[in-house]
Amino acid sequence: MTESSGTGSTLRKLAILFRRDLAIARSYRAAFVLELFYALFGAASFYFLSRFVDSPQLEKSLPQGTNYFSFVLVGLAFFDYLTVALHTFDESLQSVRQNGTLENLLVTQTSLSVILAGSSLYPFVLLSLRTVIYLGWGAALFGFPVSHANWLGALLVLAASVLAFSGLGILSASYLLVFKKGNPVNWAVIGVSSVVGGMMYPVSVLPRWLQFIARLIPVTYSLEGMRAALLGHASFLELWPSLAALLIFAVLLLPISFLVFSWALRRTKITGTLTHF
Amino acid sequence: MVKTFALRVENLEKYFPPAATGWRALLHPMMQLTVSALRGISFELEKGGVLAVVGANGAGKSTLLRILTTLLLPTGGHAQVCGFDVAAEPAKVRSQIGYHTGNDGCFYARLSGRENLNLFATLNNLSRAETSRRISELTDLFGLDPLLDQQVRTLSTGNIHRLGLARAMLHRPSVLLLDEPTRSLDPLAAAEFRRFLQQRIVGEHGTTVLFASHTLAEVEQLAGWVAVLDHGRLLGCDTPEKLRAASGGDTLEQSLENMTHRAAREEQ
Repeated sequence: MTESSGTGSTLRKLAILFRRDLAIARSYRAAFVLELFYALFGAASFYFLSRFVDSPQLEKSLPQGTNYFSFVLVGLAFFDYLTVALHTFDESLQSVRQNGTLENLLVTQTSLSVILAGSSLYPFVLLSLRTVIYLGWGAALFGFPVSHANWLGALLVLAASVLAFSGLGILSASYLLVFKKGNPVNWAVIGVSSVVGGMMYPVSVLPRWLQFIARLIPVTYSLEGMRAALLGHASFLELWPSLAALLIFAVLLLPISFLVFSWALRRTKITGTLTHF
Repeated sequence: MVKTFALRVENLEKYFPPAATGWRALLHPMMQLTVSALRGISFELEKGGVLAVVGANGAGKSTLLRILTTLLLPTGGHAQVCGFDVAAEPAKVRSQIGYHTGNDGCFYARLSGRENLNLFATLNNLSRAETSRRISELTDLFGLDPLLDQQVRTLSTGNIHRLGLARAMLHRPSVLLLDEPTRSLDPLAAAEFRRFLQQRIVGEHGTTVLFASHTLAEVEQLAGWVAVLDHGRLLGCDTPEKLRAASGGDTLEQSLENMTHRAAREEQ
């Protein structure tokens, strides 16, 4: 009558949670289309910003062969993966709490971790679509160089980044599970990462102590790896240091975040605040 | 003959931390559990039985249901569903239960009834073939066929309740747990819901049902056994006739009043 709860079953559950979010998003047709158009405006504004701030001095600080537009386009587009990873678990938890489906989801034979993982798929896929539009628009109209990019390398860096960032996202959701609002995990990670992670400017322009902090957060390696793959035409060997660092973050953060999440879930079942918001 | 119990609750206790506001709310998850919600509850329910849990607001009805559905962990004692312990074997318990509340906001309102049922069937480990078979069976059973492809937000409260029951029955649970199932229904829809529960769910399918309710007419119509809760204590659990006889009331309402007044006097 029922399927075993193996890998196949888990994949089917992830797929149906993705289809749920896609169907809900499509039911708001105008918002769905506008979301994609937003990326077109984003790429144009980065281009004009880069023309305004471009200077020989800035050019010298950027990796060789890169202009500021390409540098900032990759920085902003891929920094969003960190933002989405940190918000998506929180938002899916808040959303099922508020629409009243959390209790019904929790009495199914699917763990909350799988439900949250499935609920994070749609935001990541939507973001990837937006990133493709950013890069495509940038290439078509503003000279973003794509012809020699190492696309497979970029995909590997992206996959490793999403794993590492998801660990932080699950930690953030654990906080929200217990404390409901005012999430310092999000605040600290996004705040520090946006200052020292190399989103708008190279890490090399920072004071030494900030450069040291930059080495302790995953987004620095993600953006370095992504720029090397897309703009520096780096080989897999050259990408390895960034990939290895991201994988170490993932290996450390994911088990810790699952442990913290299990503790948080158990605690809310003890205090009776699981469905409170 | 050996009785087989669908539900067995032994000396069940549940305590919560006291409510906290402002900065103290940050310590709430770590506070000591001092506020009692259930105090030493024990009862058993045979397979195929229907038990109503009654009591004033705050008596502990929803807390009991949430423990049985594994949404809350008990502070002390034990509760078993079909032989599985709610604290030690929550996944096995969840495979045995269907849960429905009187809350009509418990679906994805912008998805159709079919999309909602598909989602919950998959999350309950039903295969694709079994999912479509069960949706078709339950749609017939609940008379939902013409409405199934409409967005849930366009359905009436009564039909959302039918959909909720259909969802709870998707994986053929042995035990159905209902929290005030007719709370937001008009009198006609509530009567129809009761008839449906009695004839189809209990009568034809032999499902064990535990439901919490404030409507005593509903309790008398549906329940073979009644558990009376008051401030977290179980004042009695028996057939409605025996409860009336034991408490000296002519009606169930009078019996409840007698029992709660007596308990209040004893507490003082």
